[in-house]
Amino acid sequence: MAAPLFALLAALILVLEGDQILATRWSPATLATIHLLALGFLTQIMCGALFQMLPVLAGSPVARALLVGRATQILLTLGTLFLCFGLYWGHQGLLVLGGLTLAVCVLLFGWAIGAALRRARGAQYTVMAMRFALIGLFVTLALGLFLIAGLLGAESVRFARSDFARWVDLHLAWGLLGWVGVLVMGVAYQVVPMFHVTPGYPRWLMRSAVPAVVAGLLIATLAMGLGMGVWAGFGLALTGVLVFALVTLDRQHRRERPRVDATLLYWWTAMTSAMLAALLWAWGGRAEPIGVLAFVGVGIALPSGMLFKIMPFLSWFHLQYRQLSGRRFDVRIPHMHAFIPERSALIQFGLYLVSLVLLLLAAIWPELAFSVWLVRLGGLATAGAIGFLWWLQLRCSAQYRSFSRRLA
Amino acid sequence: MSSRITDAFSQDHHRCDHRLAAAESAAKDSDWARMTGAAQDLVEAMERHFEQEESSLFPALSECFPASASPIEVMCSEHAQMRHLFEDLQESVRGQDRSAYLGILETLHFLVQQHNYKEESVLYPLADRALGARAGDFAERMADV
Repeated sequence: MAAPLFALLAALILVLEGDQILATRWSPATLATIHLLALGFLTQIMCGALFQMLPVLAGSPVARALLVGRATQILLTLGTLFLCFGLYWGHQGLLVLGGLTLAVCVLLFGWAIGAALRRARGAQYTVMAMRFALIGLFVTLALGLFLIAGLLGAESVRFARSDFARWVDLHLAWGLLGWVGVLVMGVAYQVVPMFHVTPGYPRWLMRSAVPAVVAGLLIATLAMGLGMGVWAGFGLALTGVLVFALVTLDRQHRRERPRVDATLLYWWTAMTSAMLAALLWAWGGRAEPIGVLAFVGVGIALPSGMLFKIMPFLSWFHLQYRQLSGRRFDVRIPHMHAFIPERSALIQFGLYLVSLVLLLLAAIWPELAFSVWLVRLGGLATAGAIGFLWWLQLRCSAQYRSFSRRLA
Repeated sequence: MSSRITDAFSQDHHRCDHRLAAAESAAKDSDWARMTGAAQDLVEAMERHFEQEESSLFPALSECFPASASPIEVMCSEHAQMRHLFEDLQESVRGQDRSAYLGILETLHFLVQQHNYKEESVLYPLADRALGARAGDFAERMADV
């Protein structure tokens, strides 16, 4: 429930700093916005999802899940805020504090989830992807800490400063592909066939896509360490993503459930954005539109689409379970669409799509006189979409609580 | 190891998935005659599946492998949840309430998916192992339904 607030804060910076943000990826406002989205919104939701999914998919609940989950969330919230304001104001103390808090957070999370993943059984390719994603998160953190040390002028990382942009690219690639991309793949193998009754993913893809991404990132990291070019490694990793996205769209095209709901529209948007981002990189496109496609086109889209299904289902499921075990058949539990109406979800998607298109146009043509206003309008639309998402979530949980009280 | 129970019962799950998708497709033009028939087909197919499990497979499994009693109880309580949704679905058909019809089918879909996942990855493989040579009989009975 807290995740949308970070995305709202990111949208606010887009509105206030419209002239800075998409003109260059290096402005403090851009760096802060990206980390608010990547850590505060996306990573927060992904961590929560892992806590929920491990017992269901792999029969392996996380030990002391409530305590570890709460601690992880507090550390992630604080670390993200410290880091983002550190980047925004160029405040060295906040940067260090942010880096250290996030390090403790990732170590705690990695220890708890890692232990559960060791015990995990079944859903072989999903569990494999989750293990690699956790490694991706660790490497992203390590590179992030390395970059903070570089920013602060530490002696030991001075050699890297001439190559600063390339190390940032590596940090970005591990975060986007190694952590987010790999986890999305592993989760998709389960939820895409389940949500819309599509054929399962082909075995050749499940065997090769995640390993291709991880191998590509390792090759790029090695090349970077040896002072060589990273295009071969990144190319391999992005090919893995591209093929995965194509196969996903093909599966969904062959789905049996005929209805086009907001979740499906979000998946289509995310897969198309991922493919466009990969192709744009291959053609040597500018980083800013690639960033919009990755962070807004995929990063905001997928969690939003998944929340529209998961929140109403869990609300219904828990209430119905309590109704049956308490034999309280006098209370009538509403169905999923009553928790989050389909129409509202579609309107929310429409707002989101407007924000994506506006931000993308501004990132493609930053030299246009009105591109500042495109960013500001895009920021407003993002704020509207995220605010509406948050309101729908609040409404869903208020409804859950009200029925929960009636069943008590 | 034989997977005859897993295969036959999972296949029947897929048949029920098709029925659910067909019930959703029927709602496209709000043709209530089609929707009524599709909902009826779905409920009948799922009841037949429950019947095979509750009066044949599950008792046999819990008899030769008593530790399975607790997961079987969870599965049966989810059957009860689904039966509640069947009633709601039939009520929505009687009242020609399209949005309730679709919302109930969506809820049923998610409940069924997570239920099937547990049966297909835990309970059926267990039954295949525990029932040994008898597994083929249960599989054939399911296929004949």
